[in-house]
Amino acid sequence: MHNLQSGDLTIEVAEAPDGVMRCTWKGKSNERNPPEILKPWFEKLLASVGEKQGSIEMHFEKIEHFNSSTITALIRLIQICRKTNVKLVMVYDQSLKWQRLSFDALRVFEKNDDLFHLRFA
Amino acid sequence: MSNDAFGFSIDMTVRNEWRNVDLLRTSVQNCFTAVFADVDGCHAIAMVTGELLENALKYGDWVSGDRAMFRLRVHGQLNQVVEVSVQNPLKADDANGNTLVKAIEWINSFPKPEAAYRARMLQIAQNDEDESPSRLGLVRIAFEGNCRLAAKIVDGHVTVTAALDLSSSAAG
Ligand SMILES: Nc1ncnc2c1ncn2[C@@H]1O[C@H](COP(=O)(O)OP(=O)(O)O)[C@@H](O)[C@H]1O
Ligand SMILES: [Mg+2]
Repeated sequence: MHNLQSGDLTIEVAEAPDGVMRCTWKGKSNERNPPEILKPWFEKLLASVGEKQGSIEMHFEKIEHFNSSTITALIRLIQICRKTNVKLVMVYDQSLKWQRLSFDALRVFEKNDDLFHLRFA
Repeated sequence: MSNDAFGFSIDMTVRNEWRNVDLLRTSVQNCFTAVFADVDGCHAIAMVTGELLENALKYGDWVSGDRAMFRLRVHGQLNQVVEVSVQNPLKADDANGNTLVKAIEWINSFPKPEAAYRARMLQIAQNDEDESPSRLGLVRIAFEGNCRLAAKIVDGHVTVTAALDLSSSAAG
């Protein structure tokens, strides 16, 4: 699985021995249409995780900013992970108010199925 | 000249180029960081700037002109009221003007912007097809920026204003 590098955004992928794909978001997600870039990359990631029966950990602590269309792409990711039975964890920095507000709001998508969780670092 | 009453403002035109959104967003963030100690507040103002400019560039009529107007005002006692406005030309009979006004009415119909934001996220999740635009930007401004939104359409130009009160701290 390759890192994503597009404009000001980088997502670094590192595979842990326990099958966890750790994706670290860096820079800014400020493209006009982020889903256009993110969706195909997420699909590759899911395929790769599926093969290994692993899970995904998305780290946002280092991201400086993302626009609202990026949030839509994240909602889609949550949905597709749940549909395909892939465990997804999103980790954010609770000391940054904007991250706290953005990610706490995503808790509406947490269910009792253990497939999607939010965690703060 | 009393410090308490000394506000400031930025008035400028912005060329219709996508990279200008982030150039201006980061400039506003840096500007405010120089004035205020409140890092979270600075990020919120910058986010509002980014979302409003994105919309102006996405939905403006860039055939008749190539510039948006950006206006930012800081006033009130102890500089706690921040108003960000962006103006762009609109095509005649453009449905976006109406969509914009309806979107703001919808947001303002909720007792708290947080409830509007939550409702919009659930709607996005419910609509299976990838709808673009996602219509999360304005409601994010209201919720995350803790802003009151207003829009005005005059002579083929739309002005969207977000008013942020730094003294009343937002949710969380
Ligand atoms: N500056 C603007 N000029 C014209 N229409 C606008 C403007 N801003 C917003 N709109 C309309 O309001 C809708 C909602 O905007 P927003 O919540 O930012 O979502 P999005 O940018 O994803 O479409 C837009 O889809 C557009 O139809
Ligand atoms: Mg928008």
